[in-house]
Amino acid sequence: MVMADEEENGVSIQLEFPKGRVKKIMALDKDVKRVSSEALFLVSRSTELFLQFLAEKSAQVAIEKKRKTVNLEHIRVAVKRHQPTRDFLLDELPPPSQAAKPDKPTQPAGRPKLDPAPRGTRCIDQFFRKPEPENTAQAPGQPPENPAQAQSPENPDQDQAQSPVPVDES
Amino acid sequence: MEDESHNNTLPNGFNTGSPESPFLKTSTTTTQHNKEQDRFLPIANVGRIMKKVIPPNGKISKDAKETVQECVSEFISFVTGEASDKCQREKRKTINGDDVIWAITTLGFEDYVEPLKTYLQKYKEIEGEKLSIPKQMRSEQRLQQHHNNYHDQNNQPFNGAYASSNLISQPPYVPTDQKFSLTFSPNSIQSQLRQQDQIDSVGHWYE
Repeated sequence: MVMADEEENGVSIQLEFPKGRVKKIMALDKDVKRVSSEALFLVSRSTELFLQFLAEKSAQVAIEKKRKTVNLEHIRVAVKRHQPTRDFLLDELPPPSQAAKPDKPTQPAGRPKLDPAPRGTRCIDQFFRKPEPENTAQAPGQPPENPAQAQSPENPDQDQAQSPVPVDES
Repeated sequence: MEDESHNNTLPNGFNTGSPESPFLKTSTTTTQHNKEQDRFLPIANVGRIMKKVIPPNGKISKDAKETVQECVSEFISFVTGEASDKCQREKRKTINGDDVIWAITTLGFEDYVEPLKTYLQKYKEIEGEKLSIPKQMRSEQRLQQHHNNYHDQNNQPFNGAYASSNLISQPPYVPTDQKFSLTFSPNSIQSQLRQQDQIDSVGHWYE
């Protein structure tokens, strides 16, 4: 039955991500009270589209740099090239200094602080202002410091192993 | 197996009273890895989707997968936060499909809106069909989930609704007043309200 439906529609509506996990991530936001199944479905699907977009752009960057393996630096470049994505993701990515990129000393200092205030977007800086123990209603449930710290121990070794030659962004 | 365990913890994750947010940093790698899994999408799913869009001979480093894993989880939180803010401004408690599409547009991902609407239409069509034989569908969905195939979207809503109704007095799928609605919203509301074998009704709303 399910397979027949897929064939008839020509487009699969099978979700790639487990809905329970998506719902759990959404519920990390203390402001989120209830989510309709329709909204959950749309968030799951849009996340798939975003992932495909990010993977495509990262692969393009890897090809431009004559690499067969997509690595962290290619993702960073892909994020920077898309304004909406960099608005909310640039601060999430591990800083280049931790990624053992000595040939780019000005990167941390020159990081642009883009504030999408005109659109009323939630400012990513809120993550840094409020400590973890105090989970206020306004603070999202996912502090970005943890991912950065979790990522930093592994990055230098892997980046060095996979990118022995310095890579230029431009 | 770990994923199934996490799915079983839906009530805790969905209950706003005491949601589990394990952000404690420990020196144990295994413990940290397990807790990270709670707030990230499964890296196997992430890797599989990435492989579909990169060249056939391309590879993905482990740290790239992990970074993308965090990026997509951050995307969910970003969209959710925007949709939730809109709900609060309009004094509503349930995030619905319109809120998500509005959030996607506001955040600058307009290209996603049309694909999402297309998928939503198909989702509702199949939803209407499946309501006619819910028991058979559920058993098939459990089989799929058991074999670790694609996670059918229909199994999760049932679990979510059941779990939520136990923890929260009000069922999460009861719609509240909307100040505006797109053409597909009434269909969804009708389907949720009736909870009956109303294929004709669903078809009518579509046509």
